[in-house]
Amino acid sequence: MRTPRPATLLGALALAALLPAATLASAETTVTVMRTIDADRYDPHRSTARSTSEALFMTGDTLVSLDPDMRTIRPLLAKSWTVSEDGKLYTFKLRDDVTFCSGKKFTAKDVKASIERWLDPATKGVVKNRAGDVKEIRAVDDTTLEYELSQPYSELLYQMTQSFHTVINIDQVKELGEDFGVKGMDGTGPFCFVSWEPRNQLVLKKHAAYKWGPEFYENRGPSKIDTIIWKIVPEDNNRVAGIQSKQGDITQYIPYWAIDQLQANPQIAVTKAPYYFWTYFVGFKITREMADDLTIRKALNLAVDQKAIAEGPFFGKAEPAYSYIHPEVLDYAKDQVDTSIYGYDLDKAKALLEEAGWKVGNDGFRYKDGKKLKLLAYSFTNIWQQVMEAMQGDLRKAGVDLEIQIFDATVIWGKLGTQDFDMFTMSYPYVSAGDAMNLYFPSGNRPTPNRVNWADDTTDQWLNEGRSALTAEARFDAYAKVQKQVHDAAVWIPIVHEPMYMAAGPRLKPIPAHGIYGAGLYKGLAIELK
Amino acid sequence: MTELSATPAAVLPAETAPDRYRRPSIWRKLRRDRAAMLASGFLTIVIALGLLAPWIAPYDPYDNNLRNMLKPPSEAFWLGNDGQGRDLLSRLLYGVRTTLSMGLIAVGLGGSIGAVLGLLAAYFRHLEGPIMRVVDVLLSFPSILFGLAIAAVLGAGTFSITVALTVAAVPSIARITRGAALVVMQQEYIAACRAIGMSDLRIMFRHLLPNCASTIFVYLTLQLGQTILLGAALSFIGLGAQPPTAELGTMAADGRNYLFFAPHVSTIPSVAIFMIVLAFNVLGDALRDVLDPRLRQ
Repeated sequence: MRTPRPATLLGALALAALLPAATLASAETTVTVMRTIDADRYDPHRSTARSTSEALFMTGDTLVSLDPDMRTIRPLLAKSWTVSEDGKLYTFKLRDDVTFCSGKKFTAKDVKASIERWLDPATKGVVKNRAGDVKEIRAVDDTTLEYELSQPYSELLYQMTQSFHTVINIDQVKELGEDFGVKGMDGTGPFCFVSWEPRNQLVLKKHAAYKWGPEFYENRGPSKIDTIIWKIVPEDNNRVAGIQSKQGDITQYIPYWAIDQLQANPQIAVTKAPYYFWTYFVGFKITREMADDLTIRKALNLAVDQKAIAEGPFFGKAEPAYSYIHPEVLDYAKDQVDTSIYGYDLDKAKALLEEAGWKVGNDGFRYKDGKKLKLLAYSFTNIWQQVMEAMQGDLRKAGVDLEIQIFDATVIWGKLGTQDFDMFTMSYPYVSAGDAMNLYFPSGNRPTPNRVNWADDTTDQWLNEGRSALTAEARFDAYAKVQKQVHDAAVWIPIVHEPMYMAAGPRLKPIPAHGIYGAGLYKGLAIELK
Repeated sequence: MTELSATPAAVLPAETAPDRYRRPSIWRKLRRDRAAMLASGFLTIVIALGLLAPWIAPYDPYDNNLRNMLKPPSEAFWLGNDGQGRDLLSRLLYGVRTTLSMGLIAVGLGGSIGAVLGLLAAYFRHLEGPIMRVVDVLLSFPSILFGLAIAAVLGAGTFSITVALTVAAVPSIARITRGAALVVMQQEYIAACRAIGMSDLRIMFRHLLPNCASTIFVYLTLQLGQTILLGAALSFIGLGAQPPTAELGTMAADGRNYLFFAPHVSTIPSVAIFMIVLAFNVLGDALRDVLDPRLRQ
């Protein structure tokens, strides 16, 4: 018999204190999913948080879905679709057997109402650019929807797979008002919203009528699990212990140090998403003194050892990043992007700074015209703190003094909206090169999310060309130019491409992880008891 | 006038003759307390190590090498390596220096401010109300809350944490000083000082303060341990020293995720905090036993 590790026992005790008695005495078809932080609300139009999307993918559906290969668009609420030659009119044929959790029948009018609510200024909707430049949405009949754009949007179908495009019951929005997404969220997904205790748990029940899941699921519905409880367990040790002691059943938030430990446990099934695009980078505020100097930015890039960071704080589980987006993502311009400045070469970094007149002083740091080569970085906590300390050590060897200010997640978003820092940390999900470039490099996106303050008319023009391209080739060409331009400018230090691991506890079959928006369970239809 | 001016000296000028005779007695009594001697010996060594850290640390405490990450103690690295592959022994020496500096500055500064406020409250009765109400307000705030508030305004770092610790030390010392000063104020020599026309400032700092000094000193010694502990706690939650500064609380926090497979990273600085706080508490208790006249009797 295996002796439980002290970590397991201690963590189990701690977790037991957190979980209510009802959870501990859970029925066989209740599954507890552990995660680190809660969402601000479960409204698809008013939150960009991954925590929101995780639940919305389960409680709602989108017109189309994304295959685990992260490239192929699959039907979901739409059975089929056509795109006009000018790329401005999308016509969707919808399923006629779909119902909301409330029992209301789903029709094209619900899609129209959902998008119009998102775009309505009164909603204060987020990332509305992901809807494209909408001219009009028409519900031709119950099962036909026309989505007309003012200008083509080559990324539209990819964006339509994201949770922002979740179809909601507009009657419930009117009924709940500001409480929509807080006290309820009526969708057509495989699970139904039951209750939410912020920062504690979200309870979802099986949608019994559900049978229209994406075709890449073996079970397209209804779910084989009756109840899913999304439980907030912030401490790494507690999640690791919880999954081993059956206090929790699933987590994708496995600390890197625990992956080998869980993989070695025959009762735990750890899976990895085959395609997952989530990149960690450190950005320069290029309008600030020193950070505005290309030579300094290149030297700093060369001084950072991404491989050591991937093997250190990420325990060898992440992939060192030498480009701003993952090489396997759609439209990555491998042949156009020059990644030679993104490898580790300390001597070259020192030489660049020497040539630029930055000489080493008595304290080991570099000076020029009496000014110290010192930059201030704002950073997140947790693993970012370890990454930034490693980077600080690397830069110190090149004579660069990096000051780090670490902020809690509740504070840092406000801080990142200011102009008071030279560098900042960030990680982000994306489905394509266009998705990433359109997020961070349009001049209109300053100061957030374009925190580097990149403002270039040519870039804006190319981004526009990419967005409105009518062919895959034209889209690729436009985005390749942007990728080359921003990589040459060394405005980021790419750190690692994050992997996604999913751990399923002893009661469950292995769960294939999906890479969409960092929400590994996606529709939750692969969750099944042994 | 001549007769009166002679009286105070005859009555009891606290800082003069009797103190000189008392000192050897205190030291002798302290030497009899083995625990106190052990604590002072330990603290002397710790302070010396902290002061000499730049010269005796075997490695640069900021030199990271991720290939040595979380390595256990070895011949090359006596206490092992931390999560950045840095030498833990070197960081411990520098960490002691930072932690003690924060504690000593905060208690020194907070103690001085608190003592002055306490004296003013005792001596000028019209100031007593306002000063003590402010002290009451300060006492009603948990120290951690002070730390959070000050870090929010000044930003996290050793400076803001020292400010927080200083503010936290003021009210209790002010209260203790006021209590001690009120007792001394009843003594005849204070009345005599007033009678001969001595200035208020002179009475407060030449006669009142020296006679409260032993009480304040004992309390400061005890407070030092608590301040170091509070500083470490604030650093542990991320409000203290920022990377890469070595500080015991921050070092303990850095290692908490690796507790089960690299326990040395967190436990070594935690044990150091424990030992230092314990030593200050033992020393403070012993000093109280020796200096408190009631206990002496």
